[in-house]
Amino acid sequence: MSWRLAALKNGFQEDAAYRVEFFLSIFSSALVPAAIQIILWYALFQLGGQTEVAGWSYAQLIQYTLVSTLFTQVRGGDHDFDLQEMIRTGSLSNYLLKPISAVEFVYLRGVGGRLFVALVCLCIGTLAFAAFGFSIPRLWGAMLLAIAGNVIHYQIGAVLATAAFLWEEAYSLLMVKNMLVQLLSGELIPLNLFPVASQWIWKSTPFYLYVYGPTQYALGNWTHSEYLHGLGMALAWMMGLSVLIRLSWGWGIRKYSSLGG
Amino acid sequence: MHVIEVDRVSRSFRSVKKKAGLKGTLELLVKPEYQESQALQEVSFSIEAGAFVGLIGANGAGKTTLLKILSGLIPASSGKARVLGVDPFERTLDFRRSISLVMGQKAQLWWDLPAVDAFDLIQAIYEIPKAKYQERLHTLAELLDVTRLFQTQIRRLSLGERMKMELIGALLHWPKVIFLDEPTIGLDVLAAHKLREFLREFNHREKATIILTSHNMDDIERLCSRVMILRSGKMIYDGKPEGLTKKGERQLSVRLLEKPTAEELSRQTGVASSQIVLANGETEEEIPEGSVRFTLGNEQIVGTLQKLMQSYQVIDMSIHEPDLEYVIQRMYESGESNEAKGST
Repeated sequence: MSWRLAALKNGFQEDAAYRVEFFLSIFSSALVPAAIQIILWYALFQLGGQTEVAGWSYAQLIQYTLVSTLFTQVRGGDHDFDLQEMIRTGSLSNYLLKPISAVEFVYLRGVGGRLFVALVCLCIGTLAFAAFGFSIPRLWGAMLLAIAGNVIHYQIGAVLATAAFLWEEAYSLLMVKNMLVQLLSGELIPLNLFPVASQWIWKSTPFYLYVYGPTQYALGNWTHSEYLHGLGMALAWMMGLSVLIRLSWGWGIRKYSSLGG
Repeated sequence: MHVIEVDRVSRSFRSVKKKAGLKGTLELLVKPEYQESQALQEVSFSIEAGAFVGLIGANGAGKTTLLKILSGLIPASSGKARVLGVDPFERTLDFRRSISLVMGQKAQLWWDLPAVDAFDLIQAIYEIPKAKYQERLHTLAELLDVTRLFQTQIRRLSLGERMKMELIGALLHWPKVIFLDEPTIGLDVLAAHKLREFLREFNHREKATIILTSHNMDDIERLCSRVMILRSGKMIYDGKPEGLTKKGERQLSVRLLEKPTAEELSRQTGVASSQIVLANGETEEEIPEGSVRFTLGNEQIVGTLQKLMQSYQVIDMSIHEPDLEYVIQRMYESGESNEAKGST
């Protein structure tokens, strides 16, 4: 077995070591944003008497909220926080001396549990899509885009984490990134609710590929060509970020002081 | 053949200086000050293949920094280091497959998993063939007597058991060079003994080159054929452990009925008071209660004993070679007093 597969398996084993936490984590991270959205849409449409918001009906917004929950579960992961903590405390040394890429290894060990969550979401989504007559192939394609989003999310974190080589404290940078992601990924509101003049903001980040893009495609609001364009953008971001990781880590490792011991 | 070559290696670290209190915190935010510390200064040595070398030094002497440079974790600020013929900081794949670093104070295995899962991952990382992996795992587990613990989560193991698992994890790929940073720290006497036996056996059997740092002189005395001593980043000794003791130097321990002071003993015997240690609770050294220890040349022993017997009633006596701990302590103390003199 290659070390990549072994790391994935090992990470999943570690995640599953705490059963209650593992099962809670499957459904917990998307619950709060979903609840906020449902309350917001209820207030606007049922209490405020609106019939449409930026072209979205009440039913469409509720559909968006429920489907986006599947992809919100897949985005994220805190492996980039792990990475900056390793740099800060010196425990990165354990990985630097092994014949592997430390950045890749930390991701693969961390993503095992998240991929299991993606599989669970896919199963639930497939059943729901079949029951309500939505396109199941679109759901699967959307999940692929969401997984690409997960990779991009970590890659950005891995680049930001290199600040810890210099300041020993890149935590706040990663927190800011996560807040931006919450706002610009589409997990709180559909991104086309943004004012037209400020739509360029989310379009110029890859965050919309995490939740908004997959949800729009799964619901049939994106055409196949829009989806392929999104997938192409995700690939371009991944390649660009890979280069950036090489550069920033090549620089950072020279500053690494391997504290402790 | 030299496996490790170090030529005038120095290493300094820059860190932020934080003054105490709220004012210090605010100053740190607005105008941080930096301080430079010199961890290693012009250290040079070379090590033959298969050697078992002890690296000794007080806290902050530069031992761990040296191991980090040799294992490729950090670069030297100046000078050259080569391990297995390459610059360790290049960290080539071949180099990483050939070395291992074990830090007694840092866990490398994954706490929430049983050891066997961690070993399986290590097998995949180092691409160890299945049959070889099983054979090595069996050998190492037998030597360290931990087979029954393989299914237990690492975090549920005792410190000694965990350290043994760490060693297995670090050796599964059969490294040619092993850096051990205080591997017996926190272990009880039995566990430390077992680890030592294991390391001796591994070095003997596999001809691996091992550098060991330890504060435990037992580790060094029992395992190492060569000792290097660092003080404030400088190499102050490099040679055989026996070379540390002065030729013909002995320790005479006597138990007297009377309780004389060191000055009185010095007056009666003519031995300098710096060579006399009393077990009066004021010293940290391990001398039996009520005893006096003289550090003497061979030729001084008989005369000193005669003078003692003329003035006091000697209940018990013994003569032995000074132990390594004592010698190194003296070496450090004399170095510190020389440095203090130099600075005044």
